[in-house]
Amino acid sequence: MTAEPAPAREVVRSQARRPGGRASTPAPDDLYEPDAYGRELLASLMRAQGGACVTVLLPALALLALYPLLTAIFPWLATAQVAGLPLTLLILGGGIYPPLVLLGYWYVRRAERLEQQFVELLKEQ
Amino acid sequence: MTEPATVVAIITVTAITAIIGARGVRVARTPADFLVAARQVPAPLNASAISGEYLSAASFLGVAGLAMLEGLGALWYAVGYAAGYLVLLAAVAAPLRRFGAYTIPDFAEGRLGSQALRRAATATVILICGFYLLPQLKGAGVTLQVAVGGPVWIGVVVLGGIVTLGIASGGMKGITFVQAFQYWLKIVAIAVPALILLAFVQHPPVANVTGAAPPTFLHKTAVQFPQSEVISVTAAIDVTASGKVDGVQRDGPLVLTKGRHSVDGGATLTFPAGAHAPHVEANPVMSGEAWTSPLLQLGGRPDHALAATYGVLLATVLGAMGLPHILVRFYTNRDGQAARRTTAFVLLLLGFFYIFPAVFAVLGRMEAPGLYTSGQTDSVVLVLPRMMAAGSLGIVLGALVAAGAFAAFLSTSSGLLISMSGALSHDIMGGGVRAFRGSAIAIGIVMTALGLAVLNISINVLVGWAFAIAASTFCPLLLLGIWWRRFTWIGAIAGLILGGLASSIAVLLTIVGVGASGWPAVLLSEPAIWTVPLAFAAMIVVSLATPRFVPADVTQQLLALHLPERVRLRSAADRGLVTQPGS
Repeated sequence: MTAEPAPAREVVRSQARRPGGRASTPAPDDLYEPDAYGRELLASLMRAQGGACVTVLLPALALLALYPLLTAIFPWLATAQVAGLPLTLLILGGGIYPPLVLLGYWYVRRAERLEQQFVELLKEQ
Repeated sequence: MTEPATVVAIITVTAITAIIGARGVRVARTPADFLVAARQVPAPLNASAISGEYLSAASFLGVAGLAMLEGLGALWYAVGYAAGYLVLLAAVAAPLRRFGAYTIPDFAEGRLGSQALRRAATATVILICGFYLLPQLKGAGVTLQVAVGGPVWIGVVVLGGIVTLGIASGGMKGITFVQAFQYWLKIVAIAVPALILLAFVQHPPVANVTGAAPPTFLHKTAVQFPQSEVISVTAAIDVTASGKVDGVQRDGPLVLTKGRHSVDGGATLTFPAGAHAPHVEANPVMSGEAWTSPLLQLGGRPDHALAATYGVLLATVLGAMGLPHILVRFYTNRDGQAARRTTAFVLLLLGFFYIFPAVFAVLGRMEAPGLYTSGQTDSVVLVLPRMMAAGSLGIVLGALVAAGAFAAFLSTSSGLLISMSGALSHDIMGGGVRAFRGSAIAIGIVMTALGLAVLNISINVLVGWAFAIAASTFCPLLLLGIWWRRFTWIGAIAGLILGGLASSIAVLLTIVGVGASGWPAVLLSEPAIWTVPLAFAAMIVVSLATPRFVPADVTQQLLALHLPERVRLRSAADRGLVTQPGS
């Protein structure tokens, strides 16, 4: 869904040493430096955030795409009933929303934690 | 028929909208206030406002009507409308807010540095919003027709006039409160009647829902025909007719023989209990088993249902992020984190709302099969309360759903008109409050006139078109713009043009009747399944072929998108301009 490939997620924590013998912990200024190190810091943040994005969207994609696929493969699933109600109604009429909402809130927490880690990394100097 | 209670409800909704909007005007001072409400809106209020703006005629009336007509598989539209916010949350919300641009054209120009791209994006905004606005106007026309009778154009003109005046005088600070109010009005207006009507179902006629045969009338039922229809009867039925049937004026008992019958507008047929409900010839007749299938069946036909389902999912899930009137709301969040929390809250509000159109679809099939006969399934939410609840309760609930429907048209139309006026006044008329007001009035008049011209095109076709175009243009623009360093403005323009043209032409062909069945029907009426990949491919391939057009300040732009506010040296806008090429 995004143009970003599958990421290495914890790169934000990396303590990579900078070229040119400067201090080993990065500072906000470094991000704005046009050198390779600033670019690498930014790329690591984007990989971490992109990774969180993919890890929330993949389960959602599976949730949405697998159900129609399974009913196309197993026709009995299309007419199945649970407690006298069509399974379709239980899923499409409400059951599919709680997992989507939970995924959403899980992503919010995860993204905020990633950002907190990134900020702490920059402030450790 | 005229329903005084319904008319009062619609006028009340409009008046409250105007009052809240007018109170907001005092706070609005500058064009920025008008457009983004000075970024002072807290997350729950903002989430209600986004949901209020998003839930349109398609959500309030269309989903229930389409699910009643074509089966529960049509609920995938609702699932996609909601799930789109998960993609928006995970991939777009925070970076877009941090970037600090006001509109999609602002984003396109700021990120890729091209006036030509900005103009292409502005044209796309007007295209998407325009085709989304038309069905709202038509929905208002139909609702007023159900409430007070008379021609459909009255509602179109009334809504067009109200919204145009509201935007030209109010601005968005007012509109934020109005939109939030309208979400809560809409949820009450659909949930309360749905729950009360559920209580009326004593012995659920489940055979109408799950049985092998088409639905039957539960009791003696009078079916009114607001327009002329050709109906198809499967077995002879003794009815009481009043009005012209098969070209002959009738007023008394009549045997509807097996086969086709034409019924003139204004006629009423009274069917006995237990009779199979005839259906409009052009529409599908579905057994309960087919109706409960979870696959989307275009026109009620089961061919290529899986591809059609995926096509609708792709258009709705990816189209949601590309709706310009929704995206502008993300700038009213305080920062990127607030944008995320707001979006997650929107997902919750939408998921809750979309339970109720499903309830109405099932209740409609059980209790009101006459809507299949008169071809009026789109009005199921509006008419079911009067059919199921007798006396004043039915009148009150009927007025409530009409008020909710009108709130849906008002809120979505306002948001669309703001986006179109903002795009036009910023990019073509040079900006400023007067340009904004002038644009709002001009566009309002033009769109109302166009709304009168498309009254015979289905609401769903137009809404589907808006989503498919958004998914084929702004979705790749946003995703690649936020996440891909090697994106160029030439690639972006190529994708906007190719995706926009391909999806527009596909739906135009559907409207003129090309590809009525089989694969052409699926690929033309649900074009997103191929136009979205096409637009992505065009943007990526052309960008890779034009590497020297990657903006020199791409790192600054990506920092502006992704860096948390706490570690910024300066505001993104300041920083984006201060670039040092190379080192």
